[in-house]
Amino acid sequence: MAERWNPCGGLFLQISIEELTGMGKEDLITSNPLRVLGLDNKAEEGRQSLGLVMARAGLGKTAILVQIALDSMLRGNRVLHVAIGETIEKTRDRYEDILTKMVEDLNEETESDLSRRRMIMTFKENVFSRAMLEERLKDLIQQDVFKPDCLIIDGYDFDGNGRQAMEDLKQLMAELGISVIWFSAVSHREDPRTSADGVPAPCHTIDDLFEVVLVINPQDSVMKLDILRCAYCEVEPGTTLLLDPSTMLIQKS
Amino acid sequence: MAKDLSRVRNIGISAHIDSGKTTLTERILFYTDRIHAIHEVRGKDGVGAKMDSMELEKERGITIQSAATYASWKDVDINIIDTPGHVDFTIEVERALRVLDGAILVLCSVGGVQSQSITVSRQMARYKVPRIAFVNKCDRTGANPARVTQQLRDKLSLNAHLMQLPIGLEGEFEGIVDLITMKAIYFDGENGETMREEAIPAEMAAEAEGMREAMLEEISMFSDELMETLLEGGEIDPRLIHDAVRSGTLSLEFTPVFIGSAYKNKGIQPLLDAVSSYLPCPTDVVNHALDLADEEKEFAVSNDPDDKLIMLAFKLEDGRYGQLTYVRTYQGVLKKGETVYNSRTGKKVKIGRLVRMHADEMEEIDSCGPGDIVALFGVDCASGDTFTAEGLSASMSSMHIPEPVISLAVIPVDNKAQTNMSKALNRFTKEDPTFRTYVDHETGETIISGMGELHLDVYIERMKREYKAEVQAGAPQVAYRETITMQAAFDYTHKKQTGGSGQYGRVAGYLEPLEEGEYEFVDQIVGGVIPREYIPSCDKGFKKSLAKGSLCGAAITGVRAVIDDGNSHSVDSSDVAFQLAAQGAFREAYSKAKPVIMEPIMKVAVEGPSEFQGAVMGSLNQRRGMIIGTVEEGNYTVVEAEVPLSEMFGYSTTLRSLTQGKAEFTMEFATFKQVPKSVSEELIKEYQEEKKNK
Repeated sequence: MAERWNPCGGLFLQISIEELTGMGKEDLITSNPLRVLGLDNKAEEGRQSLGLVMARAGLGKTAILVQIALDSMLRGNRVLHVAIGETIEKTRDRYEDILTKMVEDLNEETESDLSRRRMIMTFKENVFSRAMLEERLKDLIQQDVFKPDCLIIDGYDFDGNGRQAMEDLKQLMAELGISVIWFSAVSHREDPRTSADGVPAPCHTIDDLFEVVLVINPQDSVMKLDILRCAYCEVEPGTTLLLDPSTMLIQKS
Repeated sequence: MAKDLSRVRNIGISAHIDSGKTTLTERILFYTDRIHAIHEVRGKDGVGAKMDSMELEKERGITIQSAATYASWKDVDINIIDTPGHVDFTIEVERALRVLDGAILVLCSVGGVQSQSITVSRQMARYKVPRIAFVNKCDRTGANPARVTQQLRDKLSLNAHLMQLPIGLEGEFEGIVDLITMKAIYFDGENGETMREEAIPAEMAAEAEGMREAMLEEISMFSDELMETLLEGGEIDPRLIHDAVRSGTLSLEFTPVFIGSAYKNKGIQPLLDAVSSYLPCPTDVVNHALDLADEEKEFAVSNDPDDKLIMLAFKLEDGRYGQLTYVRTYQGVLKKGETVYNSRTGKKVKIGRLVRMHADEMEEIDSCGPGDIVALFGVDCASGDTFTAEGLSASMSSMHIPEPVISLAVIPVDNKAQTNMSKALNRFTKEDPTFRTYVDHETGETIISGMGELHLDVYIERMKREYKAEVQAGAPQVAYRETITMQAAFDYTHKKQTGGSGQYGRVAGYLEPLEEGEYEFVDQIVGGVIPREYIPSCDKGFKKSLAKGSLCGAAITGVRAVIDDGNSHSVDSSDVAFQLAAQGAFREAYSKAKPVIMEPIMKVAVEGPSEFQGAVMGSLNQRRGMIIGTVEEGNYTVVEAEVPLSEMFGYSTTLRSLTQGKAEFTMEFATFKQVPKSVSEELIKEYQEEKKNK
């Protein structure tokens, strides 16, 4: 069975295992709504990008990041998921959870193949620093343990770190050959500040550093994912993807 | 008169190896007047601590089997299960947790929360056991109870809070400040038996006040009354504080932390008070049984002495008094001389003697009721069996039992040793479901298997000591498994009809992978082409074939054998003929069913200073390990990985040399996975050569 998103129709991403192998896996990749962001092509061209998912607390930023990570893993990349203030077990559960929602009866081989493309690094909130991340990353790469293509940083403190820290991270990406880093950031209802593109605080002053900015926007009974900035998008900024509110799977543009 | 269950505590003492559990239990027994002198674990007096009743435990200074004992503190009856701290013996820990209502988590004030504590904590969470923490060894150099409390919060995600403050630490550890009564407590007398209350030392007053406030704020979440009193700023009744701590502890949302030094006899009596005040009584906890008469529907046991008896055998021991069966009663009353039913076997059992155990001494009792943990004498049963009163068909929910992952051959040195070894193995397999044994029919060797090297070592030692069975042990082997990956048909005729009475049997059908379970036999024979009396023979033949696979000689699991056709001969067909036909059929289909080798994968956690993190991950990677993730805690890093057991032999030595002995690791069984092609080829080659050399 295949009940999947397509650019015109708009059913959510759910696919059977027969289709995940061979052509099916390709289908899953090409039909993924995330394609519209166009980041992967740029990565293949050797270009580095930063992505940002914003929302108020508890709206499902991690679920979006995990889908982005899984998409990258399905395309053959290695993803390092840095979870700040979260446990390995919980982070791992999030992946399993989203994957089961995306794919029915995942076989052991594919699951194990995907797990090998992912590593989780957790930090206590007060322990995380760019310097420490750099040290750990270099360790991983030098010891030939894991060389990530994509970094997910969930729980980064944008209030306490400014433009310089973000620029430093961009430099680190270049040094270590990482093609994309995705962040999550918490916005606050009571803080009305936004950038010209509509990127909310606390990222409104540094939004120019990000190639893509997505904001989870709950409206009445629907959950929207607004594309606020999108440097290489196939769609115009301002386009909206829909989220299935029960699974948080990305649905359609 | 019915016993007041609110005055019963069934508790476990559970923690990391060497954090001083056994010494602590010894002190508890001393202060509750169960013993009259104190012996150390590795005592020079040669007596050894009371709870380590097995010789071996005395020698190694570790607790292997959880002995149950009874103590009485003030007006509360406390049943204590001392549990082992090594991960190889987790079945013991898990069984103990199953019958307990609460636990003391013992931590070393220097070592803090180590990886084993994390495993134990996970087990406690699985069985929803409320716990209080005791930070022991505050007299040791480097003692830091505040750091350990922080680790409980960070590493175990417990809402832990100190209920006491140390007066001095390390060599100068003198006593404690109780943050509820706001008094200093000192422990006088030769064995700390006399508690002396004083005012808090002036230099500690401010710190104590601050800590008390923080603690009150934390626990006020569990009591509206306390929160109101705090907001109003009035005098706080200690009862309010006790109630709030108890309520937080029972809901597993709060973990009160107590401190002391069992070795120096400090802090034990307040800990006993905490056990009485904060840990649950049997009625605070809901336990479930399965109704065997109603499709195993779960129902809550009543704790009512007037209801029909339900009792779980959680531990067997073969000691100098004969077989002892430790049981926990969940409802009803059992009186000496009564007959009960074993719900697994359906057999009647007469209970001749009933005793309350105190380490290796016992006290005769006439009856036991809900919540009691006692021992039965001379009852033939297996660990995990449920006993009920007549007319009640119930079983306590089954326990989570992992598959053995390691095996080795044991060879008795002479005939006498052979006989004794059989007795010992018979006993051990009944006591411990993770310990298994079988005879390899090709080599004639007896193979034992279990959860780790130390697990098997201990049983070999016990054979020698307790059963005088002198055995030679082979090198440990990984317990590989073989399984099939696709359906394959068979149609096999076993025929020997060359004069005299012959043998004839034909079976046809197919083998297919079985998702869950080891083996299933399906009979789809119609029209009596195989006579009914020979159907069990076919099943038997298939079962025999499972003992050894053709790839690497490992046991075969995950197979469904379906027979749907066959033939028989009125004279030459027999039980043996159909067994042999089934074996031939299995051989025929097995190779066509694409068999593969599976290996045990262990979940490994290595904890050490961050500077060694890269080297540690490298070493796990080299061992075909898959790094799941890392936990960065500042200067410490925990690396979690899944590694094949076969690659973990000798890892402790490697880790020591890589990290200057500063890192430690734990491992537990995770799952079975198919071995990679190269390893599979190697195993097959080895097995072929081994067969050739025989």
